[in-house]
Amino acid sequence: MNNNNHSASGPLTPAEVAFLCEAQSVTIIPRQRLDGLDLIGGYIPPFHPPQRTTIPLWLALLLKRQRRCNIVPPPWLSAPNIERILKTETENQNLFCPDLPYRWLETAELLLEGCPDDLGGDDGELRVLLRGLREVRQGKVREGLGKLEATYLQMNNLGLLEITEVRGFAKGVVDGLRKIGASTGVGLVLGWMMMISRWGWCFISMVFWTG
Amino acid sequence: MYGDLGLKLVQHAKRTQSLPQLPPYQSDIVRSVTREVRDLDRDVTEILEPFNGHFDPAEEPATACSLLVHHLCMRRNKRCLLAYHRVRVEAIEEMCWSGSDLLEQVQASQNKVAEGGAGIGSAEGSGASSLSPEEEEYARQYGDLLAAYKGQWTDIDLTGSLEPPRDLFIDVRVLKDAGEIQTEYGAITLTKNSQFFVRQGDVERLIAQGFLQKLN
Amino acid sequence: MDIDDLLQELDDNKVLGGTRDINDLTQSWIAERTAPEILPFQTALLERLMERIRQQIELVETQTGNLDPKTNFCLILLQTELERVKFLVRGYLRARIHKIDKYSIYILTTPSIRGRLSPPELSYLKSHLGLLNSHFLASFLRRFPEQLRRLDDKAGGISMVEEPDLDGAVFCKVVRDIEDNIARIPGTDSEFKLTKGDVYVVRYSAVREFVLRGEIELI
Repeated sequence: MNNNNHSASGPLTPAEVAFLCEAQSVTIIPRQRLDGLDLIGGYIPPFHPPQRTTIPLWLALLLKRQRRCNIVPPPWLSAPNIERILKTETENQNLFCPDLPYRWLETAELLLEGCPDDLGGDDGELRVLLRGLREVRQGKVREGLGKLEATYLQMNNLGLLEITEVRGFAKGVVDGLRKIGASTGVGLVLGWMMMISRWGWCFISMVFWTG
Repeated sequence: MYGDLGLKLVQHAKRTQSLPQLPPYQSDIVRSVTREVRDLDRDVTEILEPFNGHFDPAEEPATACSLLVHHLCMRRNKRCLLAYHRVRVEAIEEMCWSGSDLLEQVQASQNKVAEGGAGIGSAEGSGASSLSPEEEEYARQYGDLLAAYKGQWTDIDLTGSLEPPRDLFIDVRVLKDAGEIQTEYGAITLTKNSQFFVRQGDVERLIAQGFLQKLN
Repeated sequence: MDIDDLLQELDDNKVLGGTRDINDLTQSWIAERTAPEILPFQTALLERLMERIRQQIELVETQTGNLDPKTNFCLILLQTELERVKFLVRGYLRARIHKIDKYSIYILTTPSIRGRLSPPELSYLKSHLGLLNSHFLASFLRRFPEQLRRLDDKAGGISMVEEPDLDGAVFCKVVRDIEDNIARIPGTDSEFKLTKGDVYVVRYSAVREFVLRGEIELI
């Protein structure tokens, strides 16, 4: 009844994050000819099967459902690669691997749902690996956030859907600290947490604030 | 005690937020809280009367304190009343946006009042509108305002769904012969076992009635 | 320059323009959803997009009834995209209306913020406030003592006017190289450097200026 149950306001919902993800480009192999298409978001040139072409993901998924194309999965979305990343993530508890694109999780979910047969063999294995990866990273975020009170948090290398999932919690940390700070009025930079190496590892740097 | 009724209103407001339907307007409590404000104001006037407009709080700390308490109580009651009405107004606006049968409700209650005569048609009666007459008026006026604003954006249907569009078109198989139906693309004839790629909105009723089956 | 090259270039501009407009609309929608305050209305962007939406709707309408399966399928694709764009515009406008309703008095009485509304939004806001005022007056305020009837009453240190919480935490991403790239957190000694690509959770007030200049995007 109140404004909370529809989404005119507030952070994006997972369904909306998926919607945004569908706007990104993906490579396809057309199976049928298609005339050029003058979309609002740009012109789609005619298809000449089996010549590859790049189109928005929503369009690719629609054509795939109609068996009019195959989708070429992005290079990072393969079982061996995800397995490698999962291993690194597990071995380095304080780090986030930067080898994943910003929309990795939602892209993977959409492709697993829309074109499992295009993902090169065993999509079951890929699913298991992705679930593992998601859990490992989520655990780190929660642990990192739970330990501190900060005036800001850096969250580089986290994906948009991952951010969406921890959003309420992270916002609570930053908002909550401000309220404590507001009552005492003292702010002070204290230090860092979760250090970083220079090999492109992500970090969450924190500046503490004493009350 | 002063303030009890105000609290009750806020509790009603809180409950309203979690209910699927707008509960009856609490005209009795609203009237009492309003009366309380008037009583408090009269007290203030009486307290100040002997001073002839030359009241100095430093000289009369006890009186000043009493005045402050009166003042705070009045403001608190005002906030409670505002909060209560605001929550209800938001619910009414929400109904206007979602296009629910608010005005039918209003009409039904008006008919009832017309038939049953005045006096007993209180908000508590079953089937009667849960809106106060002022709220019914507000609903009508806000509906007009919304229609005017919406009219500037006819092409995008401002009150349409806020869920991201998904599967606008779907594949369906015909389960039973259903004759000819009209779609945006003209008529199609639904013969058993044929398949179509159609706009979901055009066929939702036929799916629900078991004529068509949605395919993945 | 060859005429064909020139035409090609114009075409390219048109195509890229469409892509850019959709990206800008998407970002405006996200920003409006996540910023505590209302942001400047994207007048030119919305004008261009509404014109394109109108053209597409017209195209679909004139082609409807054409039973050639190829045309028919193209129309399905056009309509699918059309619904996506309509959803974004709708979401954008609704997110704004939500804030306009919530912070109406604050917006109306703060000239710099009021100027961020489109003319129809401003007229909606004024009429809406007028309706609310008469409604509260009719429901209970008219039986109040004269001096207690105002809605924008700030006496006694407690404001009845709801204002956006500019210190609320937001999620944001640095999207450009910024010259003066130090963000300061108001009321604290805390500051940090903004590097393109960084993602932060931070109080809105610390990044507000960067957001309004388009150097930082809210996510």
